[in-house]
Amino acid sequence: MLPRLQRFADVLVGEKREGKALLRRALHLMLAEHHRYQRGTPLDRFAFTEIYRVWLGELRDHADPLRQAKSSDEDFDRLFPKDRGADLDAFTATFLGQLPPQQRSTLLLVYGEGFDYVGAAKVLDSDADTIQARLIRASASLADRLSSGSPARKKASSTIVTLYPAEAQEYDHDRAQ
Amino acid sequence: MTELSDELLVAYVDGQLVREQTRSVEKVLEHDDVVARRVEALKDAHGRFESAFEAILAGELIEILAAPVLPPRPKRKRGNGLAKIGIAVVGIGIALAVLVRGYSWPLVLRACSVTGPVATMQDAPAKAQSAPSAY
Repeated sequence: MLPRLQRFADVLVGEKREGKALLRRALHLMLAEHHRYQRGTPLDRFAFTEIYRVWLGELRDHADPLRQAKSSDEDFDRLFPKDRGADLDAFTATFLGQLPPQQRSTLLLVYGEGFDYVGAAKVLDSDADTIQARLIRASASLADRLSSGSPARKKASSTIVTLYPAEAQEYDHDRAQ
Repeated sequence: MTELSDELLVAYVDGQLVREQTRSVEKVLEHDDVVARRVEALKDAHGRFESAFEAILAGELIEILAAPVLPPRPKRKRGNGLAKIGIAVVGIGIALAVLVRGYSWPLVLRACSVTGPVATMQDAPAKAQSAPSAY
């Protein structure tokens, strides 16, 4: 489970070194406050929740949380092992790196960890509708970028109304939280 | 031509729709190429997200496996407990012997000079026992 927790912390923070430090702090806190664990709760969900709680708590202490939450593309690219060579999807990696942390971690929990919307919402202290909105926004945005330029997509764009803007960097209500 | 929102299509791709909704979407997909292409694009995005997160996890595993494993701390060898106890008992015995013999001897002599030899020999042990506390 440790690699999964490390991945969650890394993706949330957007870089490896800070992610490792976050996980260490969260694990210390979990040990110190183990009474918070409720019997019956899946251990991975509890751990993900605690990591997110620590990250959010520390972020709120900063004078400029939004700036603090940003990570560089280079730092995020380092999360991907270099020896995978051709397997690395640089386009998707860059896309993920440009997303806000909450949206990135939502994608990880649902598409990487297999959580359902409700489970992901519990980890991220949110609700299922917000989780769904984040997924739609990210998926539609990447799908638009992947199919942009193809004639089929141009035709499609005239018939299907996309609920969310194509640009991942556009307004995200998560940033306002 | 049927218009389906991304909200519905993403839920379909993620398998979050109930059976009836899934069937309805599939019926549309059968005869609407535009919606079908959109679903394919969303599935492609979904698959890319999954692959990206798998790649990150693979990196974490590689890193953890490559991390040097610290050798276990050598356990302190415990000596023979009985031997230690024996040594302690002998030490205490020697200490008591020195205490009784070494310190009581002058007191016995002093007692002899004051009260006489017979009475001293009878009283000496009791005085000797109280002698250490005087020091």
